[in-house]
Amino acid sequence: MSMTNKHFPAPKFRLFMVWTIFFSLFTFQLAAEARQFSFLSSKGLPIKVLQQNEMPFVHAQLLVFLDGEKQNYNSLLISQLTFMNMFARELNLPSTNLLDSFFRLGNDYQVEQTPEYVTISLNFLPDRLAAFTKLLKEIYTYQSFHLKKFNLSKEKYWSFFIKNRDWKKEIAFLLAYQQMVGNFYFSQGLMVQEIVNSINLAQLRSFYLKTFRPDNSLLILKGNINPYIALGQIERDLPVSPPAPAKNKKEEVTPNSSRRIFVLNSTVSDAPMIYWFDEAPAMSEADYLPFFIGNFTLFGFPGGRIYQSERSQFFLGGYKVSTDIFSLKNFTVFCNYLRLNYNDLENFLFLVDQERKKFSARPVVKKEYLDALNYYLGRAQVETGNFEYGMQQVIDRFQSQPASLSQPPRGPELVREVTFERVVQVMDELMGYKHRAGIREKGIIVLIGNANLIMNALKIFKADVIELRMD
Amino acid sequence: MLFVPIPCQTLNITSFELPNGLKVILAPSNDMQTAAVCIYNMNGARTDPADGRGISYLYQFLMFDGNENLESYDHVLFINKMGGIVSGRVSYDNSIFYEVLPASEINVALWLESERLKSLRLEDKNIDYHKNEIFNRINRMWESNLNFKAQTWISAKIFEGLPYAYPLFGDLNRFRALNNDRIRDSYRKFQNLSNILLIIAGKFDINELKAGINKFFQNIPTGKKSPEVVPNAASQHGIYSVKNWVIPGLKTNYTFYGIKSPGKISYDYVFFDFLRYYLTDPRCSRLEYILNKLNKINVEIVGSFTDYFESNALTIQLSCSERINLEKAKYILGQEFLALTMKPISNAELKAIRSLMEIDLYKGSYNLEERCLRIGEFYHMFGEVNFLDLQLRRLRKITTYDVMESAKKYFKKENQVILNVYDE
Repeated sequence: MSMTNKHFPAPKFRLFMVWTIFFSLFTFQLAAEARQFSFLSSKGLPIKVLQQNEMPFVHAQLLVFLDGEKQNYNSLLISQLTFMNMFARELNLPSTNLLDSFFRLGNDYQVEQTPEYVTISLNFLPDRLAAFTKLLKEIYTYQSFHLKKFNLSKEKYWSFFIKNRDWKKEIAFLLAYQQMVGNFYFSQGLMVQEIVNSINLAQLRSFYLKTFRPDNSLLILKGNINPYIALGQIERDLPVSPPAPAKNKKEEVTPNSSRRIFVLNSTVSDAPMIYWFDEAPAMSEADYLPFFIGNFTLFGFPGGRIYQSERSQFFLGGYKVSTDIFSLKNFTVFCNYLRLNYNDLENFLFLVDQERKKFSARPVVKKEYLDALNYYLGRAQVETGNFEYGMQQVIDRFQSQPASLSQPPRGPELVREVTFERVVQVMDELMGYKHRAGIREKGIIVLIGNANLIMNALKIFKADVIELRMD
Repeated sequence: MLFVPIPCQTLNITSFELPNGLKVILAPSNDMQTAAVCIYNMNGARTDPADGRGISYLYQFLMFDGNENLESYDHVLFINKMGGIVSGRVSYDNSIFYEVLPASEINVALWLESERLKSLRLEDKNIDYHKNEIFNRINRMWESNLNFKAQTWISAKIFEGLPYAYPLFGDLNRFRALNNDRIRDSYRKFQNLSNILLIIAGKFDINELKAGINKFFQNIPTGKKSPEVVPNAASQHGIYSVKNWVIPGLKTNYTFYGIKSPGKISYDYVFFDFLRYYLTDPRCSRLEYILNKLNKINVEIVGSFTDYFESNALTIQLSCSERINLEKAKYILGQEFLALTMKPISNAELKAIRSLMEIDLYKGSYNLEERCLRIGEFYHMFGEVNFLDLQLRRLRKITTYDVMESAKKYFKKENQVILNVYDE
């Protein structure tokens, strides 16, 4: 840190949200006493209010669900272009009523997308509630799709996509997710301009009408707010939803995370990145936590097996692995990632594979279990200092189906239920046992960098190369 | 109006002093299960002697390199293992080191900080190691990072005659020749307890906390008295300068505007801060609007601000592959500066930017690390701890007239340095 320059916060318009909040199970005990209120407005909008008077501003998240849309490449681009056209500040000149409404509230907003929903997050002052509910109305009655703007969004798709964001991680997750749910194949390359160009404005309008409806959304408000006054204002301003379109029968997603290695050829001259994706139980399931502990045992810093083995066996330079967790409705995706030198790529992949396989012969030991549990509990407490804390837990509970899911353990129950033996059993089922039984190795790996150099570095591992054309 | 505007928020901040001179500031929050322990040191790079610049910067790294009872980086590992966060940095006016950790483990952080204050490891071996590491890292940056080079040049020009004119590491050519005995001797002044604030924010039991503080801190010796530095608002004097760098093969052309602006201690700071938000904050950037949306020039705009006590530099970096567009952008930027001095901004803009600044101030006061830093800085500058009330009151009183006056004072030509970096 040679300079103390204060860099301005970057505007965020991410299309995939990274949930680094691992700890939603603990909200009941740890969060400090935010009172929760639940309403369903007469227009069909579910509203959750976390009243926390010590928080002097209001943090709002409006989720618009993408369920019912088949997740294929075209629909993905249609949704991305819709959000760009509606919310990207750079695209809207003259400004729209929607963006004017954001501006009146201070413009501290961001839009992020997971495969399952888009989240519009906004911070505003408590005395601007009336302006906030008018903003909600603007979102649900948006009419400013114009051809000129639409064409510009297609023309500059890539520059908008990569601006101020960790685009490599987002693209890697996109690729891994699509591989897991198996809806399309990237034979034409990833996000190429030709496919962007083939989308028309009518598709955006149609997508908007189907998706942006109060009865297809969830509103969460947290902060210094009176829930009943908020409900009254929302009731007054929210438009009535048009008749709901017939919904396609939702297909149950059965994720498949069998081993695939993808190499995305990028012309950006950084060191290559490795993203290692594993499918895990949903956060609301009891087996989620044993998986978390197993993953920490492997990738954790500094006690994780991979970090410990790096130097002793492979003479690697002490690479520290970061972990992000993407919470989805029916499952969770763990993403372990790091930047490293081309020369170390294969050794590192080999090391991870070797350590995973060792779970069959060398299960989690008591010390590792206790270290991981200690980290988990501590981190959960530290997260309560984040003003967004508790939001993900509300979303998970809203999305979960209590009839089909076992209740996750909480607080003291945790130690009784997520016992050492349970962790060993779950990790054995997920990695050790299946490996012994000869079932295909799991884990989707995405490498981003210069494909020629990567392929030269990979001697044992076979990979598919996909062109990343940032036209 | 169903909603009544909320009054100014007050943080419940209290303080007391230990017999050895260590001042303790407590800022509790009961709506979380975490706590931050922060050592705010009122010494920074500005207190380094002229022939020993870079000494304080070394402490930033040595602070994590072990002490009498802990091995190198044990401090970090202890906190990481319990899910916490540890960090620190040395700046010109101050230095801060902090841990954010589960509230129940607060005594661990107190112990770690006290160990560091008592017996930091300052052996030749580890001092030399960090000297070399820093030298190599800065050298690499100097060779490969244009922005770093440009910022260094701008700081030297804007802060001429002020302690901020020199990089934190001083003169890189002399850095490795700094005398180790002198580094050890300076540390005794650096960690003088009368210059240190122990700030604790978040959830804690006051009685247990006080017992912990007494146990770990009351026996620490006071240290060697260092000369007191009283920050003062720097005077404005003409600095206008234009420089062109030609770098063959450069794919993008750059122009850096450095604008000398008021320090945090100055009355004008909040008005200039408003202008900074208005022009360069990506959430509402006026420059983005006029250059790229209105005039469709397609330049990249990056703003950065130094955030020092006595004087500051707002740097606006414009970049574009086409030189003609960059020249157009420079012309329009000049016109915009002029317009701001002559025509007040609209009330709608004033209200929106004030809201944004207020939201950021609240977010900063909610975040424990930032809260500790703000409390420490406010106490350091004004001898007060309740920063939020005063800053909110001043923020809410900003008028379009104040903004125009600030623009007149700080956007004049003699207050700017311009660095152009072009291809041949």
